[in-house]
Amino acid sequence: MKIQFELNGTTHYVDIDAGESLLNLVRRLGALSARSGCEVGDCGSCTVLLDGRPVRGCITFAAKAQGRVVTTVEGLGTMDDLHPLQQAFLDTGAVQCGYCTPGMILVAYELLTKEEDPTAEQIRDALAGNLCRCTGYRKIVDAVQLAARRKAEGLWR
Amino acid sequence: MRLQGVIRYHRARDTEEALSLLAGYEGAGHMVAGGIDVARFPRTDIEGLIDVTACVPSGVEMSEQGALHIGAASTLTELIESDPVRRYGGGILPEVLQDFSAPPLRNMATLGGAIVSAHPWADVPTLLVALGARLQWTDGTEHGAPLEEVYGGPFRNTFQRAVLTGVKLPPFLGGFAFCKLRRSAADVAMLNAVCGIGLEGGRVQWARVALGATPARGQRLAWLEESLVGESVREELWQEAGREVSGKLDMGSDRRASAQWRRSAAGPLVARTLAHAAQRAGQ
Repeated sequence: MKIQFELNGTTHYVDIDAGESLLNLVRRLGALSARSGCEVGDCGSCTVLLDGRPVRGCITFAAKAQGRVVTTVEGLGTMDDLHPLQQAFLDTGAVQCGYCTPGMILVAYELLTKEEDPTAEQIRDALAGNLCRCTGYRKIVDAVQLAARRKAEGLWR
Repeated sequence: MRLQGVIRYHRARDTEEALSLLAGYEGAGHMVAGGIDVARFPRTDIEGLIDVTACVPSGVEMSEQGALHIGAASTLTELIESDPVRRYGGGILPEVLQDFSAPPLRNMATLGGAIVSAHPWADVPTLLVALGARLQWTDGTEHGAPLEEVYGGPFRNTFQRAVLTGVKLPPFLGGFAFCKLRRSAADVAMLNAVCGIGLEGGRVQWARVALGATPARGQRLAWLEESLVGESVREELWQEAGREVSGKLDMGSDRRASAQWRRSAAGPLVARTLAHAAQRAGQ
């Protein structure tokens, strides 16, 4: 079957398998920041934004993207021009192996569109389904709070 | 993830089309809304997925009396963020729904899906049974019945040939509380309980008690509710109710907990939940 949807600002008209996941689809189209982890929706490494809301790419059917907007970290910043949220993760040492980081950033991105100055508890609640086996979570919470401060200072696009 | 064996994904325009498509698969069709349950627990006998999101109502309406009418395609996030839902029952729905996994799953999971999936360890069935939810569905003819009756009957057969369209919740003046025992913060329940209490003049006017993950699906304890009505509110009342639960209820063993553990834990859990509900009712 064919679907039409927008991925990181580009409209795609693609063939999908009926049982294909959204994670599989975005990776086929080159958005490799979304990663396969547990494959059952528990770890959060496959997180993408669907119409601005984080969803688990591994357990969301690709067909669900029909007519909708999908965003991965590639849609936020580039290697040469990092998004302030990506920069905040680097500046606070919230990244080690990086496997979970795109999912963390997308969840944090959505949180910061709803909450200008989230508390540490709100950040932990939002990130509760995103697992990191390297850093612990304190620096990730610090990164989101730093990004919130920078957003308040107008350093956010 | 690629669900093996699935040949077609249909977006039904109306419930009539959804039912017709479902019938055409002769048992190999499966209705989805959020779709996460079938993706998390894949089956090999599904050839056709029928997406009913576009033809099942979503959203919430609150009547002047305080009853809620919820479209079955409402996502759990929509419900958590809904003002009427937050006002209903002292906010018991968001309290329970926020405990459903993580935000990205709540963004896809629908109330209808949580009802039809009916996992025995799930909190939503326990909540809705406690609230006396009434389901609305269509199999070509419109139907309505209390959730408790539907769960007590051949409900899986019912929803293999029907589309769940809505959930009605009656108005309550009182307090509700939710407690859950589990191994870790992200784990599913080893036991869960939702209790409601209405007070008048320091006495129990009405009571709702539902216990789930026993390991059976949530069920109301009507005999306990009746025994509480008219009693004066006191800590000993809740403790006695807990002892009744531990002494009377049949519990089972599964990989999460033994029957013996459940028997000993159910009483304190119900006592604690009742006390919390009564405290909220008195506020």
